[in-house]
Amino acid sequence: MSDPAMIVDLLAPVVGSGIRLSVPLLFACLAGLWSERSGVVDIGLEGKMLAAAFAAGAGAAAFHSPWAGLVAGIVVSVALALVHGFAAINQRGNQIVSGVAINFLAAGLTVLLGQVWYGQGGRTPQLANSERFLGLDLGSLGLDPSSALGRIWSDVISGHNALTWCAFLAVPITWVVLWRTRFGLRLRAVGDNPHAVDTAGVSVAGLRYRAVIVCGILCGFAGAYLAVAQSAGFVRDMTAGKGFIALAALVFSKWKPLNALGACLLFGMLDAVAIRLQGTPLPGLGTVPVQVFQALPYALTVVLLAGFIGRSIPPKASGIPYTKDR
Amino acid sequence: MRKTIFGLAVLAVTIAAPVRAADIQPAILYDLGGKFDKSFNEAAYVGAEKFKKETGVDYRDFEIQNDAQREQALRNFARRGNSPIVAIGFTQASSVEKVAKEFPDLKFAIVDMVVDLPNVRSIVFKEQEGSYLVGVLAAMASKSKKVGFVGGMDIPLIRKFACGYVGGVKAVDAKAEVFQNMTGTTGAAWNDPVKGGELAKSQIDRGADVVYHAAGGTGLGVLQAAADAGKLGIGVDSNQNHLHPGKVLTSMTKRVDVAIYDAFKDAKDGKWTAGVRVLGLKEGGVGWALDDHNKGLITAEMKSAVDKAEKGIVDGSIKVHDYMADKTCPY
Amino acid sequence: MSAPHRDLPPLVDYVVVPLANLTVAFLISGLVVLAIGENPLEAVAIMLRGALGYAEGVGFTLYYTTGFVFTGLSVAVAFHAGLFNIGAEGQATLGGLGVALVCLAFDGAPWWLVAPFAMAAAALFGAAWAFVPAWLQARRGSHIVITTIMFNYLAATLMVWLLVEVLGQPGSMSPETKTFEPATRLPFLRDFLTPWGIDLGQSPVNPMVFIAALAAVFVWLLVWRTKFGFELRTVGQNPVAAVYAGVDPGAVVVAAMLISGGLAGLMAVNEVMGVQHRLLLEFVAGAGFVGIAVALMGRSHPFGVVLSAALFGILYQGGAELAFEKPAISRDMIVVIQALVILFAGALEHMFRPALGRIFARVETTGGGA
Repeated sequence: MSDPAMIVDLLAPVVGSGIRLSVPLLFACLAGLWSERSGVVDIGLEGKMLAAAFAAGAGAAAFHSPWAGLVAGIVVSVALALVHGFAAINQRGNQIVSGVAINFLAAGLTVLLGQVWYGQGGRTPQLANSERFLGLDLGSLGLDPSSALGRIWSDVISGHNALTWCAFLAVPITWVVLWRTRFGLRLRAVGDNPHAVDTAGVSVAGLRYRAVIVCGILCGFAGAYLAVAQSAGFVRDMTAGKGFIALAALVFSKWKPLNALGACLLFGMLDAVAIRLQGTPLPGLGTVPVQVFQALPYALTVVLLAGFIGRSIPPKASGIPYTKDR
Repeated sequence: MRKTIFGLAVLAVTIAAPVRAADIQPAILYDLGGKFDKSFNEAAYVGAEKFKKETGVDYRDFEIQNDAQREQALRNFARRGNSPIVAIGFTQASSVEKVAKEFPDLKFAIVDMVVDLPNVRSIVFKEQEGSYLVGVLAAMASKSKKVGFVGGMDIPLIRKFACGYVGGVKAVDAKAEVFQNMTGTTGAAWNDPVKGGELAKSQIDRGADVVYHAAGGTGLGVLQAAADAGKLGIGVDSNQNHLHPGKVLTSMTKRVDVAIYDAFKDAKDGKWTAGVRVLGLKEGGVGWALDDHNKGLITAEMKSAVDKAEKGIVDGSIKVHDYMADKTCPY
Repeated sequence: MSAPHRDLPPLVDYVVVPLANLTVAFLISGLVVLAIGENPLEAVAIMLRGALGYAEGVGFTLYYTTGFVFTGLSVAVAFHAGLFNIGAEGQATLGGLGVALVCLAFDGAPWWLVAPFAMAAAALFGAAWAFVPAWLQARRGSHIVITTIMFNYLAATLMVWLLVEVLGQPGSMSPETKTFEPATRLPFLRDFLTPWGIDLGQSPVNPMVFIAALAAVFVWLLVWRTKFGFELRTVGQNPVAAVYAGVDPGAVVVAAMLISGGLAGLMAVNEVMGVQHRLLLEFVAGAGFVGIAVALMGRSHPFGVVLSAALFGILYQGGAELAFEKPAISRDMIVVIQALVILFAGALEHMFRPALGRIFARVETTGGGA
């Protein structure tokens, strides 16, 4: 085990797998970040992602193109985001309740429509390779594929699909837009002190709607990744709680994009380790119940929320409907 | 005697009134995963459809969405007078036992599990034998001499697949390495293609170039990952060779379709028997699939080796260990 | 939850507005059924017949209703304290663990002896699972929605581990405990009613249906007839004012969540001791989330909760029959209806209020105040 090449052999695939698993979390987490930074709490990430995955699977199958799938996913996800926006912004309804409703709507409708349209137990048709986002091989870079560096290159960095790169690109873009532009400054201000923004003559509702739409677009990417990149079609309950892990990651990241990247990678790695260790004994430790790794993201989030290891404080006005005073 | 008369009566009715051809109203209850899982449940569906086509007798079916529905669905069938009622999958055992007791006059059947009641036919397969054969093929097709196995839920039944597979691999090359992974410990492990894909990828990253799955819907992800990586997958239950032509080495076929067809047909012909039916290679219950999609992958040498193994198992000169007999795998 | 836009008379507030919201939710559900090529009216007919048309169907409806009353009351009590308990699902799961431990410990003992302990254990385990999020909300300000979601997942993983590694039977193919002895199981009402000529068929409704009714009365007394109930409502409406009134909002929050968790836990007695007779994964099957819809629709009033739980009981039982008759309308249709009810009776609850308010103002010239 002391041989570094062996350790690389063992770890590189897990890290590569962790990256692949963290991509949907990252999209969804950034989606939540946009929404909550503007003051709209969104626990409907799961539902939007699920609906988008279904739409992406159906769209890619119908038009024989992964891009059509991506567009379909985004359109459906944005539509749900607008329902949430209408409830939260115009109707000043409870944002948690609205999010719960959207999660159920997606869970029910995807399977219902999938069954009626395709009759495959809620699945969309299996996609051919030409209908998916496939891994982009970046070549060997002149590295010996059996060397440690070569393994790291081939297992961890090369071979990811276009959407994976989009997810990692979305992190700096989010940071620049939200922290380095006037629009971003206002958007964050709306989440902290909407009255001040309103007084300055900027429409609170307008800003929040824009944030909610960006949230929908990012959830669309997340869903499309699941259905047309990572897999070859939609299966029922495909998101399996990823939207809630993303929510946990958002809390974990203290609503900051770079931290979000870290949190999502961490949670993705935990998932990869859990998958890899299922029923496999560890040297010296015996079989570790994989549930330990599965529970860690949730447990860590609770501990963080409790403020025992640093404090995680949401934007001040998030979750509170904005009412113009008098 | 009464049975014969009844059988004749059925025949008479069938001839006299083809419109209401059926005196039997068969029903089938699929397991989680649904009837189009391209695998286990779908095999059952194929058998039922074949029966319908041949006899013109329609059947009812139902796909459960959660565990709580099993009993209610079985009872719903029973109350409507459906018989035989076939339940697919070992998870239905306790429900079948309960409902079959409540309706002693109706015929029940269960696949993959034994329910010891006078009105239940239990159909189990010798999956280890079919798995042994695909293990032989996997070992011969592998260039790295490393092959993989991805199971669904970690239960004795799936370990039985794995053990037979290892036996076949080791029979060809005692030094060959077999990576084994199970997807999970709950029912969700049958329907998680993403996880299945990740497991297959990790095995491929460790050098495996043939991966066999016994994981229902999860297996679709396994075959996809193998095909994406340019390696070979091995399908299970139904013939899955067509899913990725040229990328699926073969499929271990478990003829659930034949079992269902027989159950319906026996009931129709008045030849129904309860009790345990064990279907192995000899009975045509398991096997391996060779068709246009994979014939380029199977060399003459492989074909003769697997034929030899098949003959050995049928005549008893090769004994494939049954994991469930003693919960160990000697290979 | 949030304060109404304007004061409307109770009749409008508690009857007309919810009915309008519900009507819209069901109309849209009808459109969905139409979209998948089935006749909504026929679907409704099949559902009603399946749920209420014969004694056994009624028995099943009551069985579903029992569970929903508990989870609905659970969510409702938390609502009164201004808390969103999205964790009834996890609390009920833990409640099931409590029930199973008691039943396994006293396996073979008569049910009437075991039942009080099983109920106590269910409530205790459920309450314990609610305690941590409650305490964190009260003392550390951690948002209870996020923590209860996390606790749902923690409950699910804990359950998998327990049933696979600890409580499950070795060699069994499914993660579940052994089945309780017949003597320890709750009796079915059908066994009592058959001599009276009422045939409940095989429906699993059991004495817990009466406990559910008692729980509703208990919640009503608690919220509207005790000092604690007054404090609960004060904290829910205005925590700042509560402090001035000499109430410790933190203590009230914790107490409310303990009661909420206990009620959710009781749901498990119906399911584990009354129907499944063993502990199995995911026996809650979403009832905790149905509780949210039930509480919203019932406007957190116990009477409303019972009514809407019955409606959801009809939906679930009728839906099962419907899925049987019309495979195109699978059980997922019920999930869609549930979503629409939550959306219109919850998030969009104020949508028709201004219009209804105007209509009302026109009828009664004195109208609603500003």
